[in-house]
Amino acid sequence: MSLLRNTLTIIMLLTIAWIGFIIVTYILAHTLFPAIEYADGTLLIGLLRVIVGVAIIALWIYGWYTLTKIMLRKMLS
Amino acid sequence: MITFLILCAVSFILIILLTPLFIRIGRMLNLTGVDIHKPHKPIIPKTGGPALVISVMASITMYLIIQGFSTEVLALIISSLIAALIGFLEDLKGEVNPKIKPLLLVFAGIPILALSVYNPRPVLPFIGVTRLTKIYPILVLASYPVVCNAVNSIDVLNGSVSFTSIAFFTAILAVSIINGLEYPLMISLVMLATLAGFALYNRYPSRIFAGNSGSLFIGAVMASTAIIWRIEVVAIIALLPHIMNEMHVIFSMRGLKSAKQHNSRPILVEEGWITANPDPHAPLTLVRMLSAKVKVREDILVRSISILSLYSAFLAVLTSILFMR
Repeated sequence: MSLLRNTLTIIMLLTIAWIGFIIVTYILAHTLFPAIEYADGTLLIGLLRVIVGVAIIALWIYGWYTLTKIMLRKMLS
Repeated sequence: MITFLILCAVSFILIILLTPLFIRIGRMLNLTGVDIHKPHKPIIPKTGGPALVISVMASITMYLIIQGFSTEVLALIISSLIAALIGFLEDLKGEVNPKIKPLLLVFAGIPILALSVYNPRPVLPFIGVTRLTKIYPILVLASYPVVCNAVNSIDVLNGSVSFTSIAFFTAILAVSIINGLEYPLMISLVMLATLAGFALYNRYPSRIFAGNSGSLFIGAVMASTAIIWRIEVVAIIALLPHIMNEMHVIFSMRGLKSAKQHNSRPILVEEGWITANPDPHAPLTLVRMLSAKVKVREDILVRSISILSLYSAFLAVLTSILFMR
């Protein structure tokens, strides 16, 4: 029963990571990629958009890891 | 269709015939590893890699002879062989410094750049085709250490590398059929037939391990297929359990370190029963999460990891259908 619970918890984590990935690409579609595709703004705006894009990816990874750590702590308690 | 069926048959028969031979070669040359999760700690040959390489390469070469030469497939062959060679050297000489290994695996990406078989316009959800002219070559080189090590780090239980890779190539097969991609279809069929045959020997209780040569080879085939035929997003999602495992190991160990350098093991093994180490400083791995507060047999754990990989494969196909068409 516990193994089933653990497996389902990880399935939930994978689903959250997947939804997160979809959201991240959606945000990137409106930030990082227009900056690369149409470099019509100033250099500063373009750079800012790239930083935003990279920060979003980093945030996604950090969020995923933190959530997993919290879940594991719960599973072990 | 008949060509694909013949290729599958050739791959399957080759791996079935070659694996027992490489089990004997492994024992003869003392290329073995200890199966640490068994109570009697058996010594198992870790020479599955060369058997996998020969079976896959023979079938792919046969396809090229029948259908004609392809630079893309040649790049995949060279990249995968470089990764397999790095793994084989590690199997021979012992563990490579975990900080140097990723640098070595960067070389596996060079044939892709040198033969110019990549397209710096990956297809992304919502965005569609995008232009990453300057960043993409760097991503190509970085992808080999990431994917190869991810596959390598999931190869910790009997059969785990075979079954999780089968799930990955099932996703690639489905996406290739949906999008009419000829070469990824051929490669996924060859990989599925080879891995299915190899799983008969590699599953619990293992008679052979894939070794570093096998897991790095599989990882390089995955990375090359994704890059050359522009199915990067599908590959990333299908590899979520692998990436999750690798990323959490690196983060929880605070950098690229060998597991042997860490004081605390992620799991505890008692008479063949596996349970998560309750030590909060123990590395965070997929197996540790699955075995939290429960004693599980190795084969049951592999079944759970395979379910996770199949679920990710399903998500990958779903992403391709919903967001990338």
